[in-house]
Amino acid sequence: MTIDLENINVILATDCGSTTTKAILIEKVDGTYRQTYRGEAPTTVEKPFANVTIGVTNAVTEVGELAGRQLTNEDGTIKTPASDSDGCDMYISTSSAGGGLQMMVAGVIAEMTAASAKRAALGAGAIVMDVISSNDKRRPHEQIQRIRELRPDMILISGGTDGGTTEKVVQLAELIAPAKPQPRFGSEYEMPIIFAGNKMASGEVEATLQEDWIDLAVVENLRPTLEQENLGPARDKIHDVFLEHVMAHAPGYDMLMDWTDADIMPTPGAVGNILQTIAKKENINVVGVDIGGATTDVFSVFDETFNRTVSANLGMSYSISNVCAEATMPNVLRWVQFDMDERQLRNRVKNKMIRPTTIPQSLESLIFEQAVAREALRLAYKQHKEFATTLKGVQQQRTVGDTFSQQTGGNTIVDNMKLNLLVASGGVLSHAPSMNQTAMMLIDAFEPEGCTNLAKDSIFMMPHLGVLSAVHPEAAAQVFERDCLIYLGTCIAAKGLGKEGKPCFSWTLSGDVATSGTCNFGDIELIEMGPKETATIVCEPARGFDLGAGNGKKVTHEVCGGTVGLVIDGRGRPLGLPEERQQCQQTIARWVENMALYKEMEEAVVSA
Amino acid sequence: MRIRNILAVVVAMSMTCFAAAQSPSPAPSLVPEPPTDLIVADTPDDAGNSVEVHWNLSESDVFNTLLSDTQEVNPQQIVATYTVERKVTDGNGNEVSDEDASWRKVSEIGAGESQWTDRSVNLGWSYDYRVCAVDNQGDKSTWCNASGSVTPVMQMFNMSKAWLAIWMLLFGAFIAYFINCARSGKKLWVRKIAGLEAIDEAVGRATEMGRPILFVAGIQDINEIQTLAGLTVLSRVAKTAAEYGAQIEVPTCRSLVMAAARETVEAAYLAAGAPDSYQPDRIHYLTDEQFAFVAGVTGYMVREEPAACIYMGGFYAESLILAETGNHIGAIQVAGTAMPSQLPFFVASCDYTLIGEEFFAASAYLSGDPLQIGSLKGQDYGKFLSVLVLIIGIFFATTISMTESDESDGFGAGALNYIQNNILGNEGFGSFGGGDTDIEGDDS
Repeated sequence: MTIDLENINVILATDCGSTTTKAILIEKVDGTYRQTYRGEAPTTVEKPFANVTIGVTNAVTEVGELAGRQLTNEDGTIKTPASDSDGCDMYISTSSAGGGLQMMVAGVIAEMTAASAKRAALGAGAIVMDVISSNDKRRPHEQIQRIRELRPDMILISGGTDGGTTEKVVQLAELIAPAKPQPRFGSEYEMPIIFAGNKMASGEVEATLQEDWIDLAVVENLRPTLEQENLGPARDKIHDVFLEHVMAHAPGYDMLMDWTDADIMPTPGAVGNILQTIAKKENINVVGVDIGGATTDVFSVFDETFNRTVSANLGMSYSISNVCAEATMPNVLRWVQFDMDERQLRNRVKNKMIRPTTIPQSLESLIFEQAVAREALRLAYKQHKEFATTLKGVQQQRTVGDTFSQQTGGNTIVDNMKLNLLVASGGVLSHAPSMNQTAMMLIDAFEPEGCTNLAKDSIFMMPHLGVLSAVHPEAAAQVFERDCLIYLGTCIAAKGLGKEGKPCFSWTLSGDVATSGTCNFGDIELIEMGPKETATIVCEPARGFDLGAGNGKKVTHEVCGGTVGLVIDGRGRPLGLPEERQQCQQTIARWVENMALYKEMEEAVVSA
Repeated sequence: MRIRNILAVVVAMSMTCFAAAQSPSPAPSLVPEPPTDLIVADTPDDAGNSVEVHWNLSESDVFNTLLSDTQEVNPQQIVATYTVERKVTDGNGNEVSDEDASWRKVSEIGAGESQWTDRSVNLGWSYDYRVCAVDNQGDKSTWCNASGSVTPVMQMFNMSKAWLAIWMLLFGAFIAYFINCARSGKKLWVRKIAGLEAIDEAVGRATEMGRPILFVAGIQDINEIQTLAGLTVLSRVAKTAAEYGAQIEVPTCRSLVMAAARETVEAAYLAAGAPDSYQPDRIHYLTDEQFAFVAGVTGYMVREEPAACIYMGGFYAESLILAETGNHIGAIQVAGTAMPSQLPFFVASCDYTLIGEEFFAASAYLSGDPLQIGSLKGQDYGKFLSVLVLIIGIFFATTISMTESDESDGFGAGALNYIQNNILGNEGFGSFGGGDTDIEGDDS
């Protein structure tokens, strides 16, 4: 379908989540696209409705009522095109309903082709249920058993460079054929299998997977050579198969697909899209995080390389127990500035797990929940760093100068010093009572270095904008910049460690805010700086500290304010807390006070 | 010694000429002056099999530093040698032959020498010694007798090696401590060795590309430590290859290495649970000739284009030929050798290189065995301590030479001397500040 972008004035976008369908309206106001209204309604994928469009119509109707614009026809369909008072010019949607897109991937070597396949699947917005590879330490019968147990929406097979191993790739196919995995959507569903491996092996793979329950698609090899990764064709195919097979079998999606003017995208894939678009447009490195109840998604774009990870067991409700187990309670409690009864906390954690919709009722609960969130985010980011790496198995070029500095391949590409923008979304971050708390959680968990802008997704609009960026990048960028992100401020943090109380770096601000000071090691300061204010900061780090220009070298950054302001962080990197509990509590209490994290709430409690 | 003798002769001749040219003096006694103060003592810190004999030089010895003017010595009396005689006074219950029981010559020492060690004594026997000076004409001085007899005895501890014992104890303690730590579950940090980490990557590459892995265990024989270290790495490579299902090719330069490599690879395949995949023919002997071997290996590399080439062992001139060929065919290359001259070539042409100690540490690193890791860690601490002593010594030596101090009894000189002679030398605990410090280091 060809869309005349010049004449697009009203855009309707929905995101069909597992529980809620969110709709937003984007309108052209004074020549620029702005997000104007939003509405939501419960998702209706499950019985008794079993039709996703009912929830979509409800959400859209709410938006229409708020906007004073008739957006749906009488039969519930979306009204297009737009006139002055009703309808919209473009309708787009994302979906993560029914568990989103669940995939199984396979490759010859876990760290090479299988890792590339996983990157392709995650980048397309899928949840990777398992990775099968020749070196995953499982015997063939165990692998077959595992494949049988899984009920993926589709399978991606990779393996071998072009002209490389055929035997191992065919072995992978031979594991899948007898396993006959059952799809989630009934017996009539043909299991889509995408083969993106050695092109010389495709014939044999086709012969092996010639079963009536398999729908095999062959695309370009995602590792044509070990030095090169070509994820595009595999990602596109995953997207096509998602629409053709998965969506077509989900209740009501056939109708929804007819309504939309652009292909429906999996929600995480759309979030990745918008982050990539923004990173490319602004030429910056971005990290985005979406912390949910069961999972935490981390997206990153460093030097135009996109990576996404889903930490399936790190979340704030269903998975909160796992976060506490993985991080350990002492690690969670190090972020709390007073004594807490560990037994009581464990009960609180289990309660949150079985009653996921509850929110903290006391300041103490809130502080504890935010401590858990810090650990969940920290662990998720750690996993992301381990996954977002350079390619493994690549030949290295050396000189004699490398004698004592040989580095292995597969190093992380995530470099906090190069990070420009950190975007937060997800309940615990978006709905924190104070933006300062959101900023502090981000800084504590992600430990940004140098100069980093902090922002949060105001109403979790990124999925809508992600799919919009695929058809109308300009509109997506404008809305992202103006309405999507709420800028919290900028964090200036020095990398390195020193002695508590000794100078870490001195700074001078000039511009809308003009002041100066010295930040000592172990301190964090908050400088008030409004959302529209900008300034130039000149920092002179002490010896042993780096702010982006090198050890002890002076650096100048342009900083912008936000709802929180400018955070001067002299706590050093990697961020460490005193081992001794009392000392740790005092340190945290000092930071909490400096950042005015719970000031308003404490005052409210006192006045009450 | 020879130089001193020649010097003595030259001096003697010149003195003779000088004396002849000057004035005729009254005919002196033709017998040289005897040596004095003969002291005999049991050699300390030995097994009771030697006696040290010491005397003061004769006044007719031109090397006698107590003489104010060597020209005063009568040329005909100049000492050429000293004769040492010995007799057994007590055989410690053993029968003593008549020959031993009477004085007999046991040594002849050149002029200028004032001590000698008799290493032909028996433990527990008692000896008497005497020494006389002999001039060029063979005239002997009167005998100088020792004040008493000496009985060599055995010492349980060689105190001259006391510092060595302390070093050994410290090394042992470090190793024992760290082994104990490792066994008790404490995580011992060992620096990441990129070359060993890359082995999995190299084998993975070979698997993905469907090509073999080439492993060369050097060109030395099985008795060389480097070959053994190479076989340790081979074990790991073979195990990984077996797990991944990759093929491994091991050409060898020595027949015994081939046999050992076959055993190693077979055991690795068995450990990986893939004994059926083991192919002994892939581990084969080429030739003992260095360059014929290289020609064979490089020929294989060019024909088969292995995806990973691993060189672990002792290499000589062939290192660069092998590594450059591997680089040319686009293989991931991991090398390890303790040959300093070959390391630059490997570093420049290979992806990863294990340098000397890293290569020998591979066994502990790869196995993760507490015993080996603890031992590795203990040795590291021992080496650290040794380097620390050397650095302190260098510091003192540098300070002394920079200050150009002539004082040999200062603290710095004393410390340096103690490090040189006692801690690193053979003087046992000794006393701090004793002896001279040789800053020039000609013979230190």
